[in-house]
Amino acid sequence: MGNILEIKNLSVKIPAHGGTVSAVRDVSLELKKGETLAIVGESGCGKSMLCKSIMKLLPERAVIESGQIIVNGTDITGLSDREMTKLRGQLFSYVFQDPLSALDPTMTIGRQIAESILIHQRNLGKEEILARINELLTLVGIKNPEERSRLHSYELSGGMRQRCVLAIVLASNPRILLADEPTTALDVTIQAQILDLLKDIQKKRNMSTVLVSHDMGVVARVADRVAIMYAGKIVETGTAEDIFYSPAHPYTQGLLKSLPINSRGKDVLETIPGMPPSLMRLPKGDAFACRNPKALPIDFIEEPPMFKISDSHFAASWTLDKRYKNSNLE
Amino acid sequence: MSKKIWYYLRKTAIFIAGVFILTLVVFFISRLAPIDPLQSYYGERVEKMSVEEKNIARDRLGLNEPVFTQYFKWLDNAFHGDFGISYKYKQDALELIGERIGNTLILGGIGFIIIFLGSLGLGLWCARRENSLFDRIVCKLGTILSCVPEFWLALVLILVFCVMLRILPSSGAYSVTAANESGLAALGDRIAHLILPLTVVVLEHLWYYAYIVRNKCLEEIRADYVLLGRAIGLTKRRVVYRHCLRNLMPSYLSIMAIAVPHILGGTYIVETVFSYPGIGSLAYESARFADYNMLMLLCVLTGIVVIFFNMLAQILNEHIDPRIRAEQTVSGRRTADFRQEPK
Repeated sequence: MGNILEIKNLSVKIPAHGGTVSAVRDVSLELKKGETLAIVGESGCGKSMLCKSIMKLLPERAVIESGQIIVNGTDITGLSDREMTKLRGQLFSYVFQDPLSALDPTMTIGRQIAESILIHQRNLGKEEILARINELLTLVGIKNPEERSRLHSYELSGGMRQRCVLAIVLASNPRILLADEPTTALDVTIQAQILDLLKDIQKKRNMSTVLVSHDMGVVARVADRVAIMYAGKIVETGTAEDIFYSPAHPYTQGLLKSLPINSRGKDVLETIPGMPPSLMRLPKGDAFACRNPKALPIDFIEEPPMFKISDSHFAASWTLDKRYKNSNLE
Repeated sequence: MSKKIWYYLRKTAIFIAGVFILTLVVFFISRLAPIDPLQSYYGERVEKMSVEEKNIARDRLGLNEPVFTQYFKWLDNAFHGDFGISYKYKQDALELIGERIGNTLILGGIGFIIIFLGSLGLGLWCARRENSLFDRIVCKLGTILSCVPEFWLALVLILVFCVMLRILPSSGAYSVTAANESGLAALGDRIAHLILPLTVVVLEHLWYYAYIVRNKCLEEIRADYVLLGRAIGLTKRRVVYRHCLRNLMPSYLSIMAIAVPHILGGTYIVETVFSYPGIGSLAYESARFADYNMLMLLCVLTGIVVIFFNMLAQILNEHIDPRIRAEQTVSGRRTADFRQEPK
């Protein structure tokens, strides 16, 4: 299977008061056709920025400094907004964290879906559009689609809203779905439903999904491959098995250790000490070093490159360097 | 269906109560004000009148009776369509207003339409180009212009266009000779007389409301639904004009409904400066010289306009933004039954 999306050395910077925020730093990723890639990291580590820069929906001040975004073999990094508008929706689409604010409160669900349908298929008759709306609402698991399509967003529950957002997004039949914490604003039982729905639709439509999350439990449920992001950088990538069974980066290990299930029977939950660094003033060397109890002296001097562990598993940690391994053997 | 009738009945009741309270307040405040109404009736002659003569005149005008009696008499007459005579013009007040109201409606109406559409267009245009040079110029210029008092702006315009350039008339609504001219020339004459007052009315308000539209729209542009719209392939322009506009319309309409009396008040001042024969200059005179009947009638009319437009704004709001309707039914006595339509 080929790569539908490839990101090469992408860096995004946002000029702000008192400095520049390095939201995305030298990120390389690929997404294969039909797979689910999860991007995991703490709040503010640049996950959303990465997704928005793929669709070029960044805030106006943000600049893509370097790197390439390649979709289906074509470089879209330099495309103008007009050209991007044509690609959005059909090629890729975006699902948000908060489904309430993502829906226009003054329009019925049906009209919003119709709008999405009409962007890419202009000459549909009224009957056809209505049929498509019903079909889409059924696809996302909404019963009584005809009645529900006449409702407004505030008349729906959280889970229902997220289903409607999905219906709007799926109306234009995107090949890549960027889901930015799609379940964070929902309660736990609904989360599972929405995740299963996402997985189901992905299979039906043969879509590729980028799932952004800070919830390892969510990731374990749906991801084929996982990328761990820290301070704007990808620090480890691998298949879900690689990440969950043999995490190589100390940050990944910390994340997994801090899952509540690992603190069962203890008085306090495991945590990673400290806070993520400000993306405006990044420390020298490995950004995670100051929170890493087992940091090596070199971590404070030089940033580790990506080391290959297996064909699918990569991590950026000096502990994977041959020299370190050799010194340990001695 | 009957619910809708009830709704409008209730609105009407509130409207009538509002107008009633207004007459009460205006009546008592104007009677308590330390101005002599005889001045407007007799003009300068009042200074030569003896105390006795004044007393007789007051008796004749019914001004010596207790204020409450006066009020109920006025109310009684008003119900029968008699609003009294203007002390100054010795003419039926209603008739007098009828002669002049057209001029005010033309000035205020055209001004309002220009402000309404202009602000919306300008505001959205600026919002789409936030922080561009155009946007910044409009914002700064607007702030300065809306701080300039209307009468001053009017005088400057008169100075430039009437005194220095001599291309536009400085006062009135039409030339004295216009009555003899043909339809088209008379129309041209009217327009020439309208340009300056209209410019003042529009310039004073346009920026202010455009600025409100701009800021509201920027708030909307930051909303997630804009991002979703962009993500599914809508152009920014379309998102702004289709979604943001719809979302800011309820607040804009209520602001504009409240703007009606503002703009009307603005026209009153403009009319006075340009000696434009509308009800504004009448209102000014009647308040200045305690022309009670005229003042009452004008206040009631203006009040009706204000209350009416406020209610209109509310009704429009409820129609456009279904959330307001829902909140009302949920929090009100009636429960939310709009979702349980049998089907």
